Amino acid sequence: MSTYRRLLEGAEGQFLFLLGNEAIARGAIEAGLSTATTYPGTPSSEVGDVLYELAGETGIHFEFSVNEKVALESAFASSIAGLSSFVFMKHVGLNVASDSLMSIAYTGVKGPMVIMTADDPSMFSSQNEQDNRHYADIAHLPLIEPSNPQEAKDFLIAAFEISRKEGLPVLFRTTTRISHTRGNVKLGPIIPGERKGTVEKPGRSFVTLPSNGYHFKEVLIRKMDEIRDNSYMMILNRMEGDRKSPHGIITSGEAYNVVRDVLNKLNLNIEILKLGFTNPFPENMVSDFISRHSNIIVVEEVDPIMEIKTRSVAQVNGFDVEIIGKMSGIIPYSHECSPDSLMEAFSKIFGLDYTKKEVRMARPDLPPRPPVLCPGCPHRGTYYSVKRAVKMLKINDVIYSSDIGCYSLGNYEPFSEADVLLSMGSSIGVASGFTKATGQRVIAFIGDSTFFHAGIPALINAVHNNSRMLLVIMDNDVTAMTGRQPNPGTPDQLKLAPSGRVSIEKIVEAIGVPYLKIVDPYDLKETLGAVMEGLKGDGVSVVIARRECAIIRDSRKHREGESVKYRVSIEKCSACLNCVEHFACPALSISGGKISIDPVLCDGCGVCSEPYVCPFQAIEVIPVAI
Amino acid sequence: MPSNIIISGVGGQGVVTTGLLISRAAIAGGNHVVMSEIHGLAQRGGSVSVDVRIGDYYAPMIPDGDADLVIGLEPLEAERVLTRAGPGTKVLMSREKMAPISLGIQGKEYPDVDQMISEISRDFVVYAIDAITLARKAGNARTVNVVVIGFMLGLGLLEIPEKHIVDEMNIMFPGKLSAVNLKALELGKEAGKSNTLRWAPVPADSS
Repeated sequence: MSTYRRLLEGAEGQFLFLLGNEAIARGAIEAGLSTATTYPGTPSSEVGDVLYELAGETGIHFEFSVNEKVALESAFASSIAGLSSFVFMKHVGLNVASDSLMSIAYTGVKGPMVIMTADDPSMFSSQNEQDNRHYADIAHLPLIEPSNPQEAKDFLIAAFEISRKEGLPVLFRTTTRISHTRGNVKLGPIIPGERKGTVEKPGRSFVTLPSNGYHFKEVLIRKMDEIRDNSYMMILNRMEGDRKSPHGIITSGEAYNVVRDVLNKLNLNIEILKLGFTNPFPENMVSDFISRHSNIIVVEEVDPIMEIKTRSVAQVNGFDVEIIGKMSGIIPYSHECSPDSLMEAFSKIFGLDYTKKEVRMARPDLPPRPPVLCPGCPHRGTYYSVKRAVKMLKINDVIYSSDIGCYSLGNYEPFSEADVLLSMGSSIGVASGFTKATGQRVIAFIGDSTFFHAGIPALINAVHNNSRMLLVIMDNDVTAMTGRQPNPGTPDQLKLAPSGRVSIEKIVEAIGVPYLKIVDPYDLKETLGAVMEGLKGDGVSVVIARRECAIIRDSRKHREGESVKYRVSIEKCSACLNCVEHFACPALSISGGKISIDPVLCDGCGVCSEPYVCPFQAIEVIPVAI
Repeated sequence: MPSNIIISGVGGQGVVTTGLLISRAAIAGGNHVVMSEIHGLAQRGGSVSVDVRIGDYYAPMIPDGDADLVIGLEPLEAERVLTRAGPGTKVLMSREKMAPISLGIQGKEYPDVDQMISEISRDFVVYAIDAITLARKAGNARTVNVVVIGFMLGLGLLEIPEKHIVDEMNIMFPGKLSAVNLKALELGKEAGKSNTLRWAPVPADSS
């Protein structure tokens, strides 16, 4: 079933109501893209979903890479073969890719290359809100920041042009509010991309040995200085509003939108320098802008990067100007630029009498709804069994080391099976460290995709260092949390085209793990037994809990017309509440003192009917009327 | 016409689809629209909310207190976003309960919905609808969101010509889904027109 075809069919001049990420994917196609690579990560994932689906038809080489570093390297190869490449990832993905990023900045590229980082201010779905604009400074690379879906598409095309012209990769930074905002987008013409490139032999060197790097650095700095006066500065950066206002505002990205709304609300007409091309910093434009105003307000997300550079421009030029921003303590340092926080800041700056609208207090007893594992999720059976195994073995001080994926939700009640969680693949390295630092038993959890991404070296390390720990690999066939993208372990029937498949158990065996069991987490007895046995081992034990993602299972069952649902027998239910207190499927709730199952939510997995969850066998299949 | 709309519910209920339908119909009517989607960590079952802003807005976030309308597809989720509502906000909610697991873990039952509505109606004009019953009547329990949009049309809360809603629905739900959704819209609209389910705010001293 095609969901993104309209992005390809949309004709030049037509308007579509697009998510920022959809607009970006269309922009890449309009720009004549040859190669796209990614590792899925919110808020960047939909770009990959679109390009993956449309790859066959457009002829774009699309790759779900094993991790962001490999994605960057794979895209880079296309660009030094003269093709255009686009690699995109969430902000923390660029940390993984950063080693090669620094080298790519030095070597430059032949065909255009755009590297998108989707930052997540306020951390809607991330472990931190790092500001990846810093990477443009560290690497000395051009940086472009769009403010809305239309700009996301148009500026991406400009980013490809700048990269093509300058021979440098260009960083493209969105935030959640750009990637996940919808707006009306006017489409442009599609340029077909080239499909085969060539690495010229003999040709220029892309080898970053020290002797080359020494010269690469000088060339890079010279290029960046030239770009500073590039005409793109005038296209992607603009001034608007009253040139005579005493105050001037410098802003970019989503912060620009919030500035416009707050100024409208306050009925203020103040000149704005709206920056879309922020590295190299447009010093001449900023200097000209500062010279017209006595007070400059810098509004940006997240760190005061433009503010520091603005202060530097003012200092170098000897301007007598007050610069207001995060560093002056007026605008908050943490979290996204919200209309309310900016309204408060502007009221202070302009001396306005502002009282926040009275809002309703939350009722103190409002039950929370933290993110949960889906009904039928195989991870529920795994977490339930592991907790039970630990209890049965009377281990009181077990340390749980968790990882990034749907199973991060095991952190929440009733499982509470996460004591530490850092980054992709960190569960195994941290767990191995605990075995040296403490005498406690250690259990690590990791998903299939995260294991491929960054878990394998850490497992080698654990075996190499004789760590006594249990690793549970929760294999549900796909990269589930970002929308069920395929990974190296995904079976062919879940992909749009067949591709190579890598076996997790063969990797584990090859690493020399002494204990390996593969279980079905719907089978609680089997899972419990394997975990208990694994916990008794002296070295690294691995249990692979394998069962397809419930959403995939549900859609397959829906297609096949199968509909099994469970219900509770009121006579048999003793209201012991074990199922809701410890198994906690969203379809289960207490109603009238007994357990009830929501038939819309029930996915028919039947795990709750097992005696390990319902010792009274009160949960039964609803008989189908014949 | 409400220009700042917050739609809240539980992941899987069609919160984003509701926002999309309203947005697309508003655009078809010549309006400028921005819509935010925050997906959260859970694939299903978490709190989801969408902001739709119709008019001359740049940022997709509705400032606290500025919402003209809150559409709650689930009572607790309606209640949850009311901390962002203001004195003029109208509340439209589906009575369909989806108990969060946090209740069961603590051995608790879902709060009484009538009491919740009556408490909310001390501060806001509330329109409540038993949307799941009408959705089932239309032929699919998952059309709750379309019933609610029909309810808005019937109440006159959504000043978008019905034609635009129907046109966009036909694009978004093609084939065999079309008839069920049109039926759901119609049933919601009838309920809105009969308007028997309105809770007006009562002065605090009379309660």
